[in-house]
Amino acid sequence: MSTEHVDTTRTDATDGPDGSNAAGGSAADGEPAAADASDLDGEDLVLGYPNAPEPVIDGESIAAEPGAVTALVGPNGSGKSTLLKGLATQLAPADGSVLVDGRDVHAMDTKALARTLGLLSQESSSPNSITVEDLVYHGRYPHRGFFERTTDEDVVAVEEAIELAGCGHLRDREVGSLSGGQKQLAWIAMVLAQDTDVLLLDEPTTFLDLHHQMEVMEIIETLRDESDVTVVVVLHDIEQAARLADRMVALKDGEIRARGAPEEIVTEDLLADVFRVDADVVQTENGPRVTPLRARHEE
Amino acid sequence: MNGGRSVAGEGAAPRASGGRLGWLFDPKLAAVALASVAVVVAGGLVQVSFGAYSMTVGEAWRAALDPAVLLDPRWLLQFVVGEGLMRSITGFQGELPELAHGTLIVWNIRLPRVFVAAIVGMNLGISGAIFQAVTRNELASPFILGVSSGAGLMILLTLVMFGGLAAFLPLIAALGGAVAFLIVYAIAWKNGTSPVRLVLAGVIVGTVFNSLQTGLFFFADDIGVVQSAIQWTTGSLTGTDWEQVRMALPWTAVAVVLSLAGSRQLNLLLLGEQTAKSLGMSIEKVRFALSGVAVLAAAASIAVAGIVSFVGLIVPHMVRNLVGSDYKRVIVGCLFVGPALMVAADVGARLGMGVLTGADAQVPVGIVTGLIGGPYFLYLMRKQQHMGEL
Repeated sequence: MSTEHVDTTRTDATDGPDGSNAAGGSAADGEPAAADASDLDGEDLVLGYPNAPEPVIDGESIAAEPGAVTALVGPNGSGKSTLLKGLATQLAPADGSVLVDGRDVHAMDTKALARTLGLLSQESSSPNSITVEDLVYHGRYPHRGFFERTTDEDVVAVEEAIELAGCGHLRDREVGSLSGGQKQLAWIAMVLAQDTDVLLLDEPTTFLDLHHQMEVMEIIETLRDESDVTVVVVLHDIEQAARLADRMVALKDGEIRARGAPEEIVTEDLLADVFRVDADVVQTENGPRVTPLRARHEE
Repeated sequence: MNGGRSVAGEGAAPRASGGRLGWLFDPKLAAVALASVAVVVAGGLVQVSFGAYSMTVGEAWRAALDPAVLLDPRWLLQFVVGEGLMRSITGFQGELPELAHGTLIVWNIRLPRVFVAAIVGMNLGISGAIFQAVTRNELASPFILGVSSGAGLMILLTLVMFGGLAAFLPLIAALGGAVAFLIVYAIAWKNGTSPVRLVLAGVIVGTVFNSLQTGLFFFADDIGVVQSAIQWTTGSLTGTDWEQVRMALPWTAVAVVLSLAGSRQLNLLLLGEQTAKSLGMSIEKVRFALSGVAVLAAAASIAVAGIVSFVGLIVPHMVRNLVGSDYKRVIVGCLFVGPALMVAADVGARLGMGVLTGADAQVPVGIVTGLIGGPYFLYLMRKQQHMGEL
């Protein structure tokens, strides 16, 4: 991996949004071990589940903008989590391919892939008596050989991840004793310790209280502003998504209905079409504010 | 969110300081190990003191620690690796020096049985621990994937149909267990496996094989054959000798080393399939390899003691309750607690009938482990809200 600056790849990005991604700032900080931001492309993906006759996603393409945050939004059952699982290779596509920096992920060695692409699943389970620190150390698995012990590099990565996820005070707690929000922070720290170029997050804020939702959002913002990790995140809350993302992709019934910058996506028309709600959308300095008025029953 | 990811350096201290084996010096693990060793030693002393040739505890101590054996590598080698290998290692051709009568009895007859019990306990402990992680089910035992039914069927077939092969019974039994495991795996395979599919396939194979095994009892025309079959299928240490120690020891060593090496993979399996996969584990390969190690350990114990139930189920359980769920510690804990349970149970199997009824009879040790195991589970069931999921 070379250590070019983030900015060069960012200018390649087509129809980049308003430059909300302050790449300049982070590069000046002397970003440690800056790698090029990675491309993640899903091409003509056909994704389904073994027991279902029809694929959920039937031939869609998606490109995550390098070094930026792409949010997938859509109603329940729209296929956004399925699409994410396809990108994360948790689901093998019936057709199409997923490429990271031009390499087919299914052809990659599993550990090499796990050093490039990380996934935070919606539901994670662990033994109750494992400590947060031990959990985060599991994130280093793809970086270690079979008999290798923890290296200084592992320690550094874990410390950074714990710091970034803000769960230093939980370090010695057992995971089973944590609240849902604290657990989520611990799991995020684990994925961060994996130190990947691409990070996929499946509804990281769902079921969390407001405080922990904001914690998670801030972690993603930090990733966006201070690193060149390419983030794809599935979010339920469209306002959150608009605030967080550089690019948004809206899905309905397994089809991508719209993609673009948040202000282009979060419109009254789109809310009516994709989410089937009448809503007021007001642009504010914190991004669009959506006031849902009523559910649409026609069609 | 200040400074973000630039901390490092001095943070390196907390984890690295323990070094490679730092985790071993866990006070709980040390206490478990010490207590287990104490049980093994106490049980071993009882075993070497009592029997047809009775000795006082003092005499038994002296015999077990007889310098004529302990300080003579020739004798030790003769016991552990056998006479032939001893002679080729040491180049010694003459007659070994005479041993005292008590020493002979202790070293030739009573001690090897204690060692076999310890080895069997170790094997069953790690085998159960691995299977519980692989299936992510606390109630998994070494025999959950068909191993016991395969071994049992082969034992019956050998004893009833192919009596001429009885000399190879240990090997055949172990082989039967391994083959049954492969059948289970093949049945469970459909674009990969899952813990639930594996367990179900294990139940299917177990049901069929157990029926066949029970059917074979009808063809046994001799009560001796039936008793022998029951001894094998319930697990017994009666008549075990250095021969059994030699048979099981190498495989045990391999299984122990591999399971310790695999403990990090086991830890990762506990995080669930999805997480393990997203962290880059080749989950099918790892699962099959670890199951293979567990079957090897189970087979080694079957070959010398038959199918001893419950030990592989409760030992990992007890260890997890005592030292936590980190599999490095769990495996090491099983290496101690397994022998402790097995040696203690064998004291009951060998001497219990004599104490209770005065009759000079032994029961298969599997009966005693079952009698201990059942109530232990009852206790757990009462105490714990959630059982089953790991």
